Amino acid sequence: MKNIKAFTMPKWGIEMQEGTISEWVVKEGQSFKKGEIIALIETDKISNEVEAEFDGVLRKIVTPSGQTEPVGALLGVFGDTDVPDDEIETFAQSFEAADTGTAVGRNSDTAAPAPAETASPQAPEPAPPAISDTSFDNLNISPKARELAIELQVDATQISGSGRNGRITYQDVHQSSRPEAKVDLGGALPMPVDDESIFASPLAKRLAAMNGIDLKGVAGTGARGRIRKEDVFALLPDASARPQASLAQNTDNTPQIVEMDKIRKVIAKRLTEAKSTIPHFYIRSDFDVENLLEFRRIGNKVLNTKASLNDYLIKAVGRALVEHSDVNVQVHDDKIHYYPHANVGVAIAAKSGLITPVVKNVDLLDISDISRATTQLIKKANSGKLGLTDLEGGTLTISNLGMMGVDQFDAIINPPQGSILAIGGISRVMTEMEDGSGEFRSKLSVAMSCDHRAIDGAAGAKFMATLKSMIEEPELFF
Amino acid sequence: MQISEDALKQAYRQMKTIRMFEERLHDEIMTGEIAGFTHLYAGQEAVAVGVCEHLDYNDTIASTHRGHGHCIAKGCDVKGMMLEIYGRADGICKGKGGSMHIADIEKGMLGANGIVGGGPPIVVGAALAAKLYGDGRLAVAFSGDGACNQGTTFEAMNLAVVTNAPAIFAFENNHYSEHTGVSYAVGSEDIAGRAESFGMKAWRVDGCDFFKVYETMGEVVDHVRAGKGPAAVEFDTERFFGHFEGDPQNYRGEGEIARIRKERDCITIFREHATKKKLVSKKDLDAIDKEVSDLIEKSVEESRAAAPPTAEDVLTDVYIDYI
Amino acid sequence: MAELMLREAILQTLFSEMERDENVVVLGEDIVGGMGTDGGPEAIGGIWGTSTGLYDKFGGDRVIDTPISESAIIGAAGGLGLTGKRPVAEIMFADFLGVCMDQIWNQMAKFRYMFGGKTECPAVVRMIYGAGLNAAAQHSQAPHGILTSMPGLKVVMPSTPADAKGLLTTAIRDQDPVIFLEHKALYAEKGEVPEGDYTIPFGHARLAHAGEDVTIVAAGLMVKFATKAAKTLSEQGIGCDVIDLRTTSPLDEEAILDSVENTGRLVVVDESPPRCGLATDIVSLVTNKAYASLKAPPEMVTSPHTPVPFARELEKAYLPSPDKIADAVQRTLAWK
Repeated sequence: MKNIKAFTMPKWGIEMQEGTISEWVVKEGQSFKKGEIIALIETDKISNEVEAEFDGVLRKIVTPSGQTEPVGALLGVFGDTDVPDDEIETFAQSFEAADTGTAVGRNSDTAAPAPAETASPQAPEPAPPAISDTSFDNLNISPKARELAIELQVDATQISGSGRNGRITYQDVHQSSRPEAKVDLGGALPMPVDDESIFASPLAKRLAAMNGIDLKGVAGTGARGRIRKEDVFALLPDASARPQASLAQNTDNTPQIVEMDKIRKVIAKRLTEAKSTIPHFYIRSDFDVENLLEFRRIGNKVLNTKASLNDYLIKAVGRALVEHSDVNVQVHDDKIHYYPHANVGVAIAAKSGLITPVVKNVDLLDISDISRATTQLIKKANSGKLGLTDLEGGTLTISNLGMMGVDQFDAIINPPQGSILAIGGISRVMTEMEDGSGEFRSKLSVAMSCDHRAIDGAAGAKFMATLKSMIEEPELFF
Repeated sequence: MQISEDALKQAYRQMKTIRMFEERLHDEIMTGEIAGFTHLYAGQEAVAVGVCEHLDYNDTIASTHRGHGHCIAKGCDVKGMMLEIYGRADGICKGKGGSMHIADIEKGMLGANGIVGGGPPIVVGAALAAKLYGDGRLAVAFSGDGACNQGTTFEAMNLAVVTNAPAIFAFENNHYSEHTGVSYAVGSEDIAGRAESFGMKAWRVDGCDFFKVYETMGEVVDHVRAGKGPAAVEFDTERFFGHFEGDPQNYRGEGEIARIRKERDCITIFREHATKKKLVSKKDLDAIDKEVSDLIEKSVEESRAAAPPTAEDVLTDVYIDYI
Repeated sequence: MAELMLREAILQTLFSEMERDENVVVLGEDIVGGMGTDGGPEAIGGIWGTSTGLYDKFGGDRVIDTPISESAIIGAAGGLGLTGKRPVAEIMFADFLGVCMDQIWNQMAKFRYMFGGKTECPAVVRMIYGAGLNAAAQHSQAPHGILTSMPGLKVVMPSTPADAKGLLTTAIRDQDPVIFLEHKALYAEKGEVPEGDYTIPFGHARLAHAGEDVTIVAAGLMVKFATKAAKTLSEQGIGCDVIDLRTTSPLDEEAILDSVENTGRLVVVDESPPRCGLATDIVSLVTNKAYASLKAPPEMVTSPHTPVPFARELEKAYLPSPDKIADAVQRTLAWK
């Protein structure tokens, strides 16, 4: 035999990817004769003996018994007795296992370079030559594509054709002339728990899971009695969840004309004035409320109160307003009123219409006080007992439509207030954390409308930044 | 060997039915009323009947494209067959199969086959099932001197030997595989010899003599039912018509058809032997002739008048249940 | 529940079905192994490990080791089926479909129809298919497209051990001829398999991953690749529905269309060559029946129009992969 020889994990059969040495029959330093058994190797299918193909000495065991190695890996080193130890060592260290991976076994994760892809179309150079009927005379392009290119003044010579032999198609020209796609991605959804004993189509199972419907015992109208999505829709409690409302029995479509009542007329007038005279600008942000939600849970227990999330928002807004006096304002024609304390309005959808009573001096109140105040205001609003003082003096109103299932909205400022905060829904969003990992966090969508006569962009932005940091780390500010 | 008078009359009736069925079809096809390909069995009746008279409904057979004779011999309904060949809704395959795919599983007829050599593998399966049922039943694959060259036939024979399956490979050597003579196409010119070389016992017999066929088949069937393994028989026989209806038969020798119709007509041979040996009376045989003639006449009449399948029938019977 | 490899799930199913019904007969080349040798029967126990021990338990009349004669084997399966038995025949490599095509295509698939609905042939033909183990051109093909196109056959392609067990049980109990395709590169795949008998109906796809942005349709090994791609894409905020067809005939059209109506984008993954195959079949179904929902042209990720090559690098380039699937998903999202 040659002086030094490698003993590698053998490949037995087309499927074998790895094996485990169950026993070294020959020990390190021992010699063996041709035909003797050197080791026992196990795979997931069989256990087999490795017979020596020649006389030799097992100089070094690299892989101990019980260890699993891929096919081709170095298990041991054979060598004549006169080969020095350090040569054996060097051999073992520098040994490179052959690549024995298959397309679907080990190493299948490293994708082979895909066959060369066609180049993406490039943006035209500045001041390209004008495109005329003869511009594409020698180009491999379909007649309709040529027409379109000329019509749209697209330089087809810069387009890589997807047709046979690189022919440029109508679709190629069409695509290269359009702006980038804006796609609203939904992301991965949680998998519904799969119970195979329920015979339902994949979508039906998902719909049922999303709407909390138990499909056990539900009769399906699909082939062979399979439950389909239509069957799930029929079980949903709210008719508005169905894709199509049932046809109304009454097909008469003449409207019923009702005059606005006094309050609605006032609301209408004020909002029209606000929208047309106040220069609104908008600042939007998503706040991570994961910590706030937890803070509220604990806070309410500790303070023995039933403060709503909105109450906590009011508290944070109050403190932020006081820190940003340039936002804590009312606007009256060309005068700005700067307030020392924060009066925060709360938008309430009372039976008679939208009304925004004000919680006074929020910065001086603690959470349970705020909760009591808002509860009272809501009661008064619903019983029509709000007084003028309830409605005056606010600098910012909070309007919360999150519980209505709204993602985000922009509100109209309540004059003479300087701004209004529109609170949308909480959604679960995959977020990159500081350590680079990803987790689902609850995000609250917030949109601030500011009166640009009194509040500048920078001022509004700074206020929002403060508010954001208060809400995201509530323990520091309450 | 002893055959009762009733059995002889039954055999004659079957052969005569096949003969008149095929002769009548030959005429009707000329009118253009029958669609597709038809391959007539006239001349080979003694083989089909000589074999099938040893079988009952538990035994199965598979046939070739020239399947009418085996079908009738196995007991399939004559009128139902005629309706099928005419492509009518009441045919035994509901008009879906036609002449080349005629079958009746209840009678143990696993079908005529449009693929040469298609039958033997199926028959080995039926024989393996027969082995499992364990009651002595068997399966017969009818092949011609054409199929005896097809690889599938060899595979089937070998598999039958290796599994000791109760299969009978019945080779009807009518000297022509399509338009080619057996002396050219079968290299060894010995079909039974091929079966022997696969390891099974093979017999050779004159296929135009019912009595010889019947006697030989008695031995063969006993051998196979006793579990002694598969067997093969090479029958020397003649087909009176072309490979298919419309075949001008230019490959036949001068006067050959006239000669074989005169000298190698198994029905004539049967009559002579049976009446001479006083096994059956001429009167009885003539009476059977008349009955058969009436049956065929009636079958044709009814088939011509019968309703075809409807367009919806295209979609049925593909699966037992799908979705 | 037990964790089994796919091949173990197949073997377990064969054992339990043969036990339950004495009419179930198994036949194929080397399914016992060692017949007529000094090593004796069961010296191999089937080259794929999917029939080990059957001969010892059920005997040679019901576990039939055959010579290399695919036509005879499949023809015998047809004959056994027609005469009251429930055969499960094995074709060692699906590529050998070539030598027994007649008995499947012209015989078994057509018996019921040609014979006017009067026969039943409850045969199962198991074929081991697929590329990925460098078995080269004549031992790596995926003929599900051809077989799906044949009326009279049902075609099954499990992608997990649990599905393999349920679908094979259904196949054996089904009264029609069923082609059961097992991917050789999935044999060692492990998965949770419920204990006891259960069936999975044909034409009932499985949702392997959920999302609302793109629909990926796949079968067999390709489900594994598609799911991997979907997981990677979900980290980029792209949600994919991965539909594991399980059976290509009958096809769960509803599951595919429901999903595409939701997402508007389709990627079909198929390891056979692109012409006249499963991928084109699904794309044409969706284009015809869900045109109004499509937001981008459907994409197909298939092997190229070539035989399966041998060298490792070539086979990797030949087969679809999670990366190629992810690229196709991105293309549907980039449509302008």
